[in-house]
Amino acid sequence: MTPENGAGGDGRLIQLQDITRLFTVGGEEVRALRGISFGIARGEWVAIIGQSGSGKTTLMNLLGCLDTPTSGRYFLNGKDVSRMSDDELAMIRNKEIGFIFQTFQLLPRETAQSNVELPLVYRGLPARERRTRARAALEKVGLGNRMHHKPNELSGGQRQRVAIARALVAEPSMLLADEPTGNLDSATGEEIVRLFEELHRAGHTLVLVTHEPKLAARCPRAVRLSDGQVVADGPGREVALFDRELHPVQAAGGA
Amino acid sequence: MSVFRIDVLEGARIALFSLKANRMRTVLTTVGIGIGVATLLAIIGIVQGLNSSFDKQLATIGANTLHISKWPWVIRGDWWTYRNRKNFTLPQVEQIRAQSSYVTAISPVVGRAADVSHGEEQLATVGVNGVTSEYLIISGFEVTQGRFITEADNETTRPVAVIGADVAAGLFPNVSPVGQTIRVEGRPFQVVGTLSRKGKILDNNQDLVVMVPFKTFYAAFGKQRPFSIAIAVTSADVVKQAEDQLVGIMRRLRATPADQPDDFSINRPEMLANTYQQLTGALYGVAVGVGLITLLVGGIGIMNIMLVSVRERTREIGIRRALGARKQTIVLQFLMEASAVSAVGGTLGTVVGLGLAKVVSLITPLAADVQLLTVVAGVGFAAVVGLLFGIWPAARAANLDPVEALRYE
Repeated sequence: MTPENGAGGDGRLIQLQDITRLFTVGGEEVRALRGISFGIARGEWVAIIGQSGSGKTTLMNLLGCLDTPTSGRYFLNGKDVSRMSDDELAMIRNKEIGFIFQTFQLLPRETAQSNVELPLVYRGLPARERRTRARAALEKVGLGNRMHHKPNELSGGQRQRVAIARALVAEPSMLLADEPTGNLDSATGEEIVRLFEELHRAGHTLVLVTHEPKLAARCPRAVRLSDGQVVADGPGREVALFDRELHPVQAAGGA
Repeated sequence: MSVFRIDVLEGARIALFSLKANRMRTVLTTVGIGIGVATLLAIIGIVQGLNSSFDKQLATIGANTLHISKWPWVIRGDWWTYRNRKNFTLPQVEQIRAQSSYVTAISPVVGRAADVSHGEEQLATVGVNGVTSEYLIISGFEVTQGRFITEADNETTRPVAVIGADVAAGLFPNVSPVGQTIRVEGRPFQVVGTLSRKGKILDNNQDLVVMVPFKTFYAAFGKQRPFSIAIAVTSADVVKQAEDQLVGIMRRLRATPADQPDDFSINRPEMLANTYQQLTGALYGVAVGVGLITLLVGGIGIMNIMLVSVRERTREIGIRRALGARKQTIVLQFLMEASAVSAVGGTLGTVVGLGLAKVVSLITPLAADVQLLTVVAGVGFAAVVGLLFGIWPAARAANLDPVEALRYE
């Protein structure tokens, strides 16, 4: 459905070309990703699904510019980020990516508002503008009345909303969510998925990494990884089912 | 807005935040550095105070004086070699006066410690010196009452005495001493004059002194005692030349063979100063070493706490890196934390150290004297220690793999 066509800046937000990633674990080489190629267009909502050991976490780290590939190229917003320096990658993460983690990853001692301000701090915005934008983002996720609460004064769902506000506040090119409902009960998880649906309707690009077929089934598109390779790419519902039929046996894979 | 400025501002904010969040730890680490700086400053203050008070004391001897003795003031090594040297003779004193072009005053000086009394009042171990009239000029004393010893006193071995300020105060609390009779080791001497106050040199009280005519001293206490020769020269600038000349004169007078070393010693106040400085220099070095080691221990304390802090905040570092913090930002954050601790510790240590030096100077005879430069150096050094010992933990923090850091439990 989305074959790569060689050019980096073909208008797609994300273009992966034959990405591999090798790890050396205890003197042994582990190929976590073995030639991944696909693209994601602006405004898409894509689930990356796979069982543990399939390479999806490695792929997420690469997509999030927290890691660089061993070979292959990764174009993000027209720029080749696969060979960038550490500082350049930090800048790209700040500008292009809004992270949403399974464990929320909020700074425990800072208020919701300070947590949301953080990406703007590293972008170098003055304090007043940071505050205004952080408030707007918190209101958008329905936490306008929890600005000055610390994470331990918030419920799990509220914490994830703060994290989503933090991901939104810097207006990145894409939101990258790693098992965003993994630490939440089903009702709260449902709220968060609804919030994603809203964000998708509003035009945000969403990449969601999960091992749950149910969650992947709700995404318009899903990419299934197995043993470091793309084994299916299509409408979320079909790709999620694909798993049930095959029950692939997992080889030892990377993180 | 420059990126560096953000890093600095944000680094400072996080550093303060973290210091506040770990108050007890911060206080303890600060105290560690503070003790180092305080020790260093207190020691330096006391040594500097000692030095300046010694300089003041030394100034009372007189920079234009020389003292020819059988042995040097400061003996290193085999003291007994000096014992066998020949004594000086009175004709030699006259020949020195005749032959040296620099001498303005010259006097033989012989001394002993003695008990001195007047009626019920008694003083033990008073320095009793036999001198001639010119000794007044050499010694730098002034006569406050009566007169000094004269040529005639000496030639006729009169039992007269000129007494120092502490002897006058000790023996004559109520009456004027001039005209009174004191007893030195039981022998009567008539007081003809009193001397101005000069103070102490190290432990030696220059005012607890009785001066009698040289020949009277010999008559009263025995001729066997060797004497030394005190000399004043025209000015302090020619002391060195005068010394060279005197060496030649003395060798000729004593017929010292050319292949033999001098069998006498020419002493100058400056030599005392040199010896003193060598002595205190070593002490100074050891003391400063101790202070530096204390600071080092404080620095290691900082490093330790910073490593703990980095470990505790591994996940926070991961989050910050994911959200766009560069390595430099993380380094600055931890460096600022380290140097904030040591700067506060340094300032506290300075206050305590100066206070300590002050207290020491109040409750002991040691005088403390701290110079501004020392303070600046102390605080500066503390900050440098903080930075140095903060570098490694900060670098560790910045070099954490963001992926690993985010996963850290």
